[in-house]
Amino acid sequence: MSTFWSYDFMSYALISACILGPACALLGVFVTLRGMAFFSDALAHSAITGVALGFLVQEKFLVSVDPMLCVFIFSFALASLMAWLFRRSPLAPDTVIAFSFTGSVAFGVVVISMLGKYRLLDGILFGSIYANGPADIIKQAALAGLIVLVLVGWMRSYTLSTLSPEMAHVQGHRRAWLDYAFALLIAATVAVSLKMLGALLLSALIVIPPAAAKLISGSFRQMLVFSLCGGLLAASLGVFFSWHLNVPTGPCIVLTNVLLLTLCYGWKTITPHLQT
Amino acid sequence: MTAAALGQTQTITCPAPLLRIERVGVRYGNHWALRGVDLEIRRGELLAFIGPNGAGKSTLLKALLGLVPLAEGRIIRDGPAPRIGYVPQKLALDSTFPLTVEEFLAVNHPGPRAWFGGVSKKQGPAIMAALARLGAADLSRQVIGTLSGGQFQRVLLAAALLQEPELLLLDEPAASIDRRGSEELQLLLHDLHKKLGLTIIFVSHDLHFVSHLATRVGCLNQNFCGLGPPHEVLSEHSLTEAYGTAFVPGHLHFHAAE
Repeated sequence: MSTFWSYDFMSYALISACILGPACALLGVFVTLRGMAFFSDALAHSAITGVALGFLVQEKFLVSVDPMLCVFIFSFALASLMAWLFRRSPLAPDTVIAFSFTGSVAFGVVVISMLGKYRLLDGILFGSIYANGPADIIKQAALAGLIVLVLVGWMRSYTLSTLSPEMAHVQGHRRAWLDYAFALLIAATVAVSLKMLGALLLSALIVIPPAAAKLISGSFRQMLVFSLCGGLLAASLGVFFSWHLNVPTGPCIVLTNVLLLTLCYGWKTITPHLQT
Repeated sequence: MTAAALGQTQTITCPAPLLRIERVGVRYGNHWALRGVDLEIRRGELLAFIGPNGAGKSTLLKALLGLVPLAEGRIIRDGPAPRIGYVPQKLALDSTFPLTVEEFLAVNHPGPRAWFGGVSKKQGPAIMAALARLGAADLSRQVIGTLSGGQFQRVLLAAALLQEPELLLLDEPAASIDRRGSEELQLLLHDLHKKLGLTIIFVSHDLHFVSHLATRVGCLNQNFCGLGPPHEVLSEHSLTEAYGTAFVPGHLHFHAAE
């Protein structure tokens, strides 16, 4: 264990996991409540295109652009486009998500390939938590603060506008603004967390902890608490497991989350038999 | 007696309407859901909107809530806007989501909330009082997804009552409950109307429910094709005209109107 702490990159990886795990889990409770798991997954995957566009700007205009900023701008633009299509087009929401997501990923891969950076695709898809530095930790802490501020501050509005937009409207909550703020939060989460888990695995951090918490909770408050604890536990244990087993961290965090979900499912299945 | 004097007499005997709907039209693309609708909503009445599918009943309710833009006409209120309580037909909630009744009601209570989604000390008594008024105090800890249709309607009503409304709007309140639940709901709404002096407007397909509860019925088909006391609007002739097909309403009781 002493070896683990003797490397700075391991400490940074653990701090990142401890910040992003619970922050994504809190966001995930509302993603699940709003039935937007597929939507957040699509945005996570579209990060590939954000990075590709960053490379394109860099190559063509010789300007250095922060890939995180490109991912954020592209994810938010795509989220807004999808939200607009949900309201205005005759297509079903899941169809809109499917073609927006696959189309943008395909475009991103083509651009990356044309720029001759295909070898970088691996890092975008699977992330690299060990590349974290103090600057990344600050960005991640700022993101976590923003998630807590928006979702805890406007918890009533978010819950009610999801359950019944009409009731929310009567009580003075404005759903359109809440929706844009939520899309902004998901886009920011994708941009900041991409480095840790990569585009393919990121949505696991958002969706699995609340899904596991939901299985063993008797109230919304319990679900929030269990989800935060689960997110923290799975992400930090994932970093430890990856160190000890010498396997990539992103997949290890996801597998730890899946293990947690399986345990919660087992608990939910066994509990009624134990009581009888 | 002059026309002016007649007008004066009318002003003294009839209270001002809560809302006046003048030539209201709502359009979805090229289709008019409502057109040229005129209506005065009287204080303390129990008004039901009936009509075939796509007749504009729910659209009129949405127009009253300000949820759809008016393509023409206006809704006028005399005095300050009435406090509205709205009871939707259902919630957009996965039935396995662990949201308890008291948590749902806390979200609907305007008072300060407890940290992290709980029920505050200020909200607790108001929530319990609203549930007790509807005979549902024992449901407070139950998860919303486990409630029966009748219990769920009581919880939605409790949420609307927490707004301390003057005007209560209900969208198909009897749609997902059995006959017994429907009768219990009628009694509850009648009781709320009587004791709290609420003005209640509801949309329903269930003519028995309407005939038992409403003091006035509006039969819609883009516009009102019938508006008046239940025994007049719910007649075979009037319903056949509205629904465009031979319509036998069966044996209806007109309790509230009597």
